[in-house]
Amino acid sequence: MSAHPALTVDGLVKTFDLGFLGALPGFGWLAARLGIKGIAHRVHAVQGVTLSVEPGEIYGFLGPNGAGKTTTMKMLMGLIHPTAGSGTLLGRPLGDREARARLGFLPEHPYFYDHLKPQEFLEFYGQLFRLTARERRDRARALIDRVGLGYAADRPLRRFSKGMVQRIGIAQALINDPDLIVLDEPMSGLDPMGRKDVRDIIFELKQRGKTVFFSSHILQDVEMICDRVGMVVRGKVVSEGPLHALLDVPSHRVEVVLGDIDDAVVERLSADAPSPTQVGAQWRFAVSDESEVGAFVRDAIAAGARLVSVTPQRRSLEEVFVASAQAGDAP
Amino acid sequence: MIQIYAVGLNTFREAIRNRIFASLVMFAIAMLLLTLAVSSASLHEEVRLMKDLGLFLVSTFSVLIAIFIGVNLLYKEIERKTIYTIMPKPIHRAQFLLGKFAGLAWVMAVQVAVMGVVLALQFWLLDAHFGVEMVQAVWLAYMEVLVMVAIALLFSSFSTPFLSGLLTFGVFAVGRFVDRLATLQLGDPSERTEAQEQISAVIRGVAKVWPDLSLYNVTPNVVHGAPVTWGFVGSATLYGLTYAAVVLLLACVVFQRRDFI
Repeated sequence: MSAHPALTVDGLVKTFDLGFLGALPGFGWLAARLGIKGIAHRVHAVQGVTLSVEPGEIYGFLGPNGAGKTTTMKMLMGLIHPTAGSGTLLGRPLGDREARARLGFLPEHPYFYDHLKPQEFLEFYGQLFRLTARERRDRARALIDRVGLGYAADRPLRRFSKGMVQRIGIAQALINDPDLIVLDEPMSGLDPMGRKDVRDIIFELKQRGKTVFFSSHILQDVEMICDRVGMVVRGKVVSEGPLHALLDVPSHRVEVVLGDIDDAVVERLSADAPSPTQVGAQWRFAVSDESEVGAFVRDAIAAGARLVSVTPQRRSLEEVFVASAQAGDAP
Repeated sequence: MIQIYAVGLNTFREAIRNRIFASLVMFAIAMLLLTLAVSSASLHEEVRLMKDLGLFLVSTFSVLIAIFIGVNLLYKEIERKTIYTIMPKPIHRAQFLLGKFAGLAWVMAVQVAVMGVVLALQFWLLDAHFGVEMVQAVWLAYMEVLVMVAIALLFSSFSTPFLSGLLTFGVFAVGRFVDRLATLQLGDPSERTEAQEQISAVIRGVAKVWPDLSLYNVTPNVVHGAPVTWGFVGSATLYGLTYAAVVLLLACVVFQRRDFI
């Protein structure tokens, strides 16, 4: 196991100077100072993101649309130059070619050279890693099978569906057998089977000691596979940590399930636990304060209800996500 | 080096498999075949007309096709985001740009060669001799194309295809007559003003760094039977390659600084 983190980001900042004259040196800054809009304006896409990913872990990078996830990833991948801050990939500074030789990347909504067939496509990427002709051929064949595209091996990529493009995109990210794999929305555009396949690939990579850093909007997937998550809102990381630590924060909410209960009792109990939901012959009540559960259950039993279960509620990732987003949006 | 080759091969494959490129080449060949009909209609001037019109079409169509593909080459990579999966690989941005140049140079070599062969076939049909001076003229047309490809890449490294196309075509149009600007002197010698003198000096200065594409137009020599020496061909080739190399260097500097948003 390597001594250094697989990926670090230290105070990464990206400011875009946009508008007609925004690209001219100094104009964006001047326009921001003078409050001029239209001809030049500044957008602070990333405002000091700091995080660290340990070797062998699966790290979920979360955040609402426009939070700065993709911009951060692009800076890590050398596609855009940071305004300030630094980072490392596999212990080497950003942009280092040796680190990039051990890196795999899948961008969001990928689009590839659609005149190529899968084998040609993957062999082309293999050449960029200086793989031998034999390595290129063998790895390309194996990866085409691994991502389930063996049946489309003779088709040019322009005849691929969105899900197939996503699969071949994952294959190109793995052509060099990378140690660190960065995936921007890898589940995007995939059906449930496709999402499961991607999750399986990510798990398999972890089992082989690889590090996976990925962003996703599909929280269910993140919850299923991540060791740690970082949440970015408005260009800043607002919470970061092991998934269990984020989710195990007591919510003080308890779910009580009751059976053999008539409408009058439901109405009366709703005063203490509003908006119960009916599931078959049972009713689910959410008691917001665990100190009131005893009294609630006693009332219910006294009214003739049958107690089915009492379950303390764990926070869902969605709740953590919404709370983080709201905290980040607060002035 | 293998990365430049890989990007070049991919660029070549992409262009060759592109229907627009095939249509442009077919159109250029059709125009060339039309010269056969025009030449045949002229009285005793068939071969002269064939040389004149044929070389004009080979040169002009090749440059226009090169500009069309050249200004779209980088733009397409960025717009369609294919570059997002290339740049994180262990490849320098300059290698990528040189690969694109090499690929297009390869495509244009095929295009110019095809047009040259079609032109030679027409000479054969007219029972005329396709001499070495014709080969030299076609070779120089290709050198001009390489210079224009480099310039198209430079402009497209920082601007849109439309603007790049406009600028590259402007360089081409002026470049064809820049030899006349190099010795330009405004006004009448006896009553020349200082302003005219200064403007003339500026124009002459600009003409010195502007690509001298007049070097690549040897059609008058070919038509009138004046020899084109191998020394001239060699120096024009060296000039073209050097000019393209300097322009590509500039393009690499610009491309290196660019953000792929």
